[in-house]
Amino acid sequence: MSNIIEVSNLTKSYKELTAVDDLSFEVYEGEILGLLGPNGSGKSTTINCILSLLNFSNGSIKIFGEEMKPDSYGIKEKIGVVFQEVSVFDELTVYENIDYFCGLYVKDKEKRKEYVEDAINLVGLMDFKKFYPKKLSGGLLRRLNIACGIAHKPKLIFLDEPTVAVDPQSRNNILDGIKKLRDEGATIVYTTHYMEEVEILCDRVIILDKGKVLAKGTCDELKELAKIEEKISVEVNKLDNKYVEEIKNLDNVADVSYNGNVLLIVYEKGKNNLSDIMGLLKKENIKYNKIYSERPTLNDVFLELTGKELRD
Amino acid sequence: MFFHNFKYSLKTLFRNKAMIFWTFAFPIILGTFFYLAFSDIENSEKLDIIDVAIIKNEEFESNELYKAVFKELSDKDNKDRLFNIKYIDKDDEKEAKELLDNEKISGYLEFVNGKPKLTFKSNGINETIFKYVTEGIVQSAYMGRNVSETKANLKDISRKNLSYTMIEFYTLIAMTCLYGGLLGAIAINQNLANMTCQGKRIATAPVKKWQVIISSALSCYITQILGVALLFIYTIFALKIDYGNHFFKVVLLSLVGCLAGLSLGIFVATLVKAGENAKTGIIISITMAGCFLSGMMGISMKYIVDKNAPIVNKLNPASMITDGFYALYYYDTFDRYYFDLISLLIFAFILIGISCIGLRRQKYDSI
Amino acid sequence: MIVFKAFLKILNKNKSIIILYTVILVVFGGINMNASDTNTNFVASKPNVMIINNDEKNEITDNFIKYLKDNSKIIKLKNNEDAINDGLFYRDVNFVIYIPKGYGKDFMAGKNPEIEIKTTKDYKASLADMLITRYIQVASTYRDMGNTDTELVKNVNETLAKQGEVTITSKLDTNKLERITFYYNFASYSILACLVYVICLVLSSFKDIKIQKRTIISSTNYKKINRYLLLSNGLFSLILWSLYVILSFILLGNDMFSKQGAIYMLNCFVFTIVATTIAMFIGSIVLNKNAINGIVNVIALGSSFLCGAFVPMQWLPKGVLRVAHILPSYYYISTNEAVKSIETFDKESLKPVCINTLVLLGFALFFVILTNVYSKKKQKIG
Repeated sequence: MSNIIEVSNLTKSYKELTAVDDLSFEVYEGEILGLLGPNGSGKSTTINCILSLLNFSNGSIKIFGEEMKPDSYGIKEKIGVVFQEVSVFDELTVYENIDYFCGLYVKDKEKRKEYVEDAINLVGLMDFKKFYPKKLSGGLLRRLNIACGIAHKPKLIFLDEPTVAVDPQSRNNILDGIKKLRDEGATIVYTTHYMEEVEILCDRVIILDKGKVLAKGTCDELKELAKIEEKISVEVNKLDNKYVEEIKNLDNVADVSYNGNVLLIVYEKGKNNLSDIMGLLKKENIKYNKIYSERPTLNDVFLELTGKELRD
Repeated sequence: MFFHNFKYSLKTLFRNKAMIFWTFAFPIILGTFFYLAFSDIENSEKLDIIDVAIIKNEEFESNELYKAVFKELSDKDNKDRLFNIKYIDKDDEKEAKELLDNEKISGYLEFVNGKPKLTFKSNGINETIFKYVTEGIVQSAYMGRNVSETKANLKDISRKNLSYTMIEFYTLIAMTCLYGGLLGAIAINQNLANMTCQGKRIATAPVKKWQVIISSALSCYITQILGVALLFIYTIFALKIDYGNHFFKVVLLSLVGCLAGLSLGIFVATLVKAGENAKTGIIISITMAGCFLSGMMGISMKYIVDKNAPIVNKLNPASMITDGFYALYYYDTFDRYYFDLISLLIFAFILIGISCIGLRRQKYDSI
Repeated sequence: MIVFKAFLKILNKNKSIIILYTVILVVFGGINMNASDTNTNFVASKPNVMIINNDEKNEITDNFIKYLKDNSKIIKLKNNEDAINDGLFYRDVNFVIYIPKGYGKDFMAGKNPEIEIKTTKDYKASLADMLITRYIQVASTYRDMGNTDTELVKNVNETLAKQGEVTITSKLDTNKLERITFYYNFASYSILACLVYVICLVLSSFKDIKIQKRTIISSTNYKKINRYLLLSNGLFSLILWSLYVILSFILLGNDMFSKQGAIYMLNCFVFTIVATTIAMFIGSIVLNKNAINGIVNVIALGSSFLCGAFVPMQWLPKGVLRVAHILPSYYYISTNEAVKSIETFDKESLKPVCINTLVLLGFALFFVILTNVYSKKKQKIG
């Protein structure tokens, strides 16, 4: 697997704020890389720097092995970008918008026609070709925004929070579309602060905060980082304090808490945790309503790394 | 690519209703208002036949000189006719007063003790002429002979085309040219990554920034010219506005005027760090201030500025355009026209030149 | 209260528009005026004449020039043809007379030397033409009688000094009222533009706010909001009217403290009411904020140009004035023009004023009904 993007030691500071701080990472061919971080963590700034829209104070950026400059048209040709803001012309219809932006890349008219149709089908705007953006709902508008960025079938796609404020149907449609793009051979850089999306979509994740890489790896690798392995919640109405103490002494248990309703047990790595606790509950004849086990989420990882929730 | 962007740029401009209103419809509407309001002003300044009354008492009846002069000056076949005289019987003096009160006549003449006495309601030009003619007769009588036998040998060497209301329509053309700046600003905004998101998209596409900007600017320029052409057609055929007899020079001036407007828009859009609305506001303010100084809201304003602070109007693009049309209409020589034309070109090139320096930047510190 | 607060917020956002129209009013309606003339004797109109004398110094020419100086307003421009031509075009000068070299000598030699002139061909130019012709005629007559230079000058001056007796009947200083009339006529533009602009913006903003309010605080009555809205619009109109009246006192001073002044103010008040109802009507039919700017310009400029707010009524073509009868501004301006020439206040002289006022109130009623009919219709459809 070759490196499509190599970012090394990227630093970008505004007057007082350092938005990106000595950031280095790389993107491999054919993967979906998630850039995950809370609002203001430097995701969009990083992308704008990679795209050579912003000046940066330090570092170097290579795309397809070449240094990225504002006039690196050879590189730009192979890139597609979907910005966070909906960036389309109000005066042009859905079809015309896609055709316009696609036309900046693809000169052959016949080929372009085909590409535009493909893009419309991909995001599911077949019935809205002649609509003006003002008549589209928020979700459809986002889809149009994506179609405009990817119609020219780029090899490398940047998606900057394309699903902000989108209804669940549209979101699923969008995520499916992105997977399809990857399956067709594109490399994708995807920024978001929705970790569910990252978990379903991304092959690899980089967690950013305050312009720095906190962690990177596949979802599973990241979860490895967290000390916890499993969380078991038990809905139980009355529980004597002595049982809590008893559970604490079970194997692998890292922490136990009880709030009068739910008993939450956090485990370090180990096996047979669920059967252990169920055995104990049965032995002591404690009645419970529900019991379920969870794998740790990226949010837990983030919490572990920074001490704060991801979605702030 | 050039044509692709050009085509879509035209599409967006023509579908922008606000722009279409301000650059196409508004000048035509305003021109119609001007026409309706000003079409009669110059006629009303021509000397009309003056309505007066003369009280026919014995003294008047016996004075042949007066009778003869007034008869001649009110003769319908006389091309120098001045008066429409109502002769009133001496018993109906009241009637004369009534006519005067109701402004049916400018004044009346009555002989009192052998001397003519004039009664007017107020000061004015008609009154002055009536008085003047009457005094002429008094003076002739004093000299004892009719002086009107001799003719003064005056040779009129004035220029033709003295219709000053034309200036209104010239400022209107100037306004339309400069309003084109609004279009220019849109073209630039659309293509700048630090102004609009569409601009960001274009910045990441493999196209030369210059190509995009020039093709957008060209589409604006063509839209502008179309607007100005429409206005010309309307003013020439519907409003009968006179632009003089030098068709190609008029076209050339309009083309350069549009270029000046476009350059103003590009300049403001590139160099003013403000939102789109603020930029629009600045362009409209500059245009309207320029038109004000070149006489749109009062024709004499242009003259006052030209006379007392000529430098102001030499820097004012609206005035350069207006003055160019004025020179074509009023003068036979083209020195003044070419001066205006070249000033406009210099104006446009300076603004475009400065804008180019600003536009050369490819990356931004913040967007 | 929330209505007033929102109203003030919108007002504050758009204060630049109000300031703009007020400044326009002050610049055009207040300052750009000639000083008034209080003379009750007859004052002859004088044409603007420029003399270019190429003759040597001699009695004949000097006296001719002196005569012109006495009977016209001498304009001094730069003695270059462009400056003179510009002066003529813009009516800075009505008549230019070029006295040729050797004029005096040639004249006394019995010739009738040619004098070049430039003229604007309007009535002032005609007057100048008459003055010059008269002088030459009288002078030629004395020359033909065999006068010497000195005799001729003396006789010509004596002859031309003979004047008729003139009385003026009107005591009214129309000049002063001219200024007030112009100010108030112009105010119709500012009032209409300001009110339509602001009220339309407020109404279109409230259409959004109302929807919000209904979902957020259902306790705020919809009708109550409408009542408050009407009240705030009325209050705004009242404030604008007061502002313009106060400005008229500042700009026009004592002349406003008169019966005529009071009528101007009241007439303006009635017009403000009509303008408010027009604004409410337009505000109820126009939903698009972007369109407001265009509509304001067309309506305000149209009314003002067609009804004589900018160009005095007597200079407008008859056909235009006939069409203007359908516009409220026409009746407002008619009253102002009528007041200008009222000398004694009696039934007869105030009749046109009353009729105009009734028509204006009729317009106000008409627009109120129209607004109601329109919004009812819309409710049914919606």
